[in-house]
Amino acid sequence: MGSTETKSWSIRSVLRQAGELNGVDLALRLTLLELLLRPIGDWTIRPFILSLAVLGLLFPRNIRQPVLWLALAGLTGLRVVLDWPLPDNHAYLLCYWCLAVFVCLVSQDGDQDTDKSLALNARLLIGLAFAFATLWKMVLSPDYLDGRFLRVSMLTDPRFEGFAQLVGGLSAETFSELRTYVSQHVDGQLFGTFANPQPPPRFIWTAHVATWWTVAMEGAVALTFLWPAGQGLSHLSRLSQLRNILLLLFCATVYAVATVAGFAWLLLAMGVAQCESERWKTKLAYLFVFALILFYRAVPWTALLLP
Amino acid sequence: MTKPTIDWLRYLPSVLLIAVSCSQIWLAYSADLSPWSGGGFGMFSTLDAGGKRHLHAFAMRPGIRRELQIPRDMKEQVLRTLTLPTETALVNLASEFANLPTPDEGPLEAIQIQVWTAHFDPDTLEPSSSLLHSIEVRFGEY
Repeated sequence: MGSTETKSWSIRSVLRQAGELNGVDLALRLTLLELLLRPIGDWTIRPFILSLAVLGLLFPRNIRQPVLWLALAGLTGLRVVLDWPLPDNHAYLLCYWCLAVFVCLVSQDGDQDTDKSLALNARLLIGLAFAFATLWKMVLSPDYLDGRFLRVSMLTDPRFEGFAQLVGGLSAETFSELRTYVSQHVDGQLFGTFANPQPPPRFIWTAHVATWWTVAMEGAVALTFLWPAGQGLSHLSRLSQLRNILLLLFCATVYAVATVAGFAWLLLAMGVAQCESERWKTKLAYLFVFALILFYRAVPWTALLLP
Repeated sequence: MTKPTIDWLRYLPSVLLIAVSCSQIWLAYSADLSPWSGGGFGMFSTLDAGGKRHLHAFAMRPGIRRELQIPRDMKEQVLRTLTLPTETALVNLASEFANLPTPDEGPLEAIQIQVWTAHFDPDTLEPSSSLLHSIEVRFGEY
């Protein structure tokens, strides 16, 4: 009994300690951890980025050294330039974030000022990234809102395969038949009359719900993160908490299916940076979702749940 | 560093993000950059990813037009060109293709490259594709 109490107290204490870490320090550690878990760049850049990340994590006193973040901003930026136009969106955001850390460390007076400035940068970068993502999905893209993008992706992108069968209700045979149909190599139009296989209504509904869930969540994150301080909604003390809930919910749900772990981890690291210092439970929630993304990446949970 | 410079500096990352994203949108419309690429946060918004585009390349010799088999080691250069099929990128790729062996005899007159992008019917998902770019680079004239 006594040992159970001691154990439970210890776990609680460890969790509390983790939650009470300074938000910015935690964000910087998570960023370095993300660089280790999801190495980027080719052999000319990767060893330097990995070395800097290890250095920052092993010697945490150096984590607020501007030169560390200047080097990371330079290397991540160089990677974008060398691979252009192929790098993922995540590569650009990582570069902006490292630059933001450097700029905040060199241009502010004292840790408190740095933390405020970095929180502002985290809010702006997350808000702007989600605003542009929403713009593409809602306005610029011709095949997103009608569900075409997700219907085809659920059939052709291996990352969605388990989800398409588990939630979309496709049997292995129907899935294979539909995938063969949409993956045909066509120059121009299909010749002849082919009987196009009919997906079950559940599959179509799943694609529509996932389409609207994603765009609604992205729009809501953009709105709450970009809402100007001291205006309208921000009178509500809960606005900042709403931001955290939306971002956590987005990462926990969307990245369960679209396993882009690097992007998710970066968003979570930036999310922690703008989290108020007294909200230790929220910081713990960020750590929990960070670990959850690791689980999503490591365990093919949809395939395991399939009969 | 003066105070105004400091105030401006902290907005630099956000300004960069906006500038790159706007230029990505402009390139997507003016130069057929795939919305997935270029840093404008268009990933997972459309099926028009660079990897979903495809190309055909033909070597033209007197009386013969033969489709080329593209070697695996050119995969990245091909993907780069499919993602942003500018005239410069297509001409460079054609110059590389000009070195590929074919069983045909006679002088190489030209390399033709076609870049296609895929579409899907909104109701039936029937696949089709349209020609995004076509270029013929003549070699005898250079």
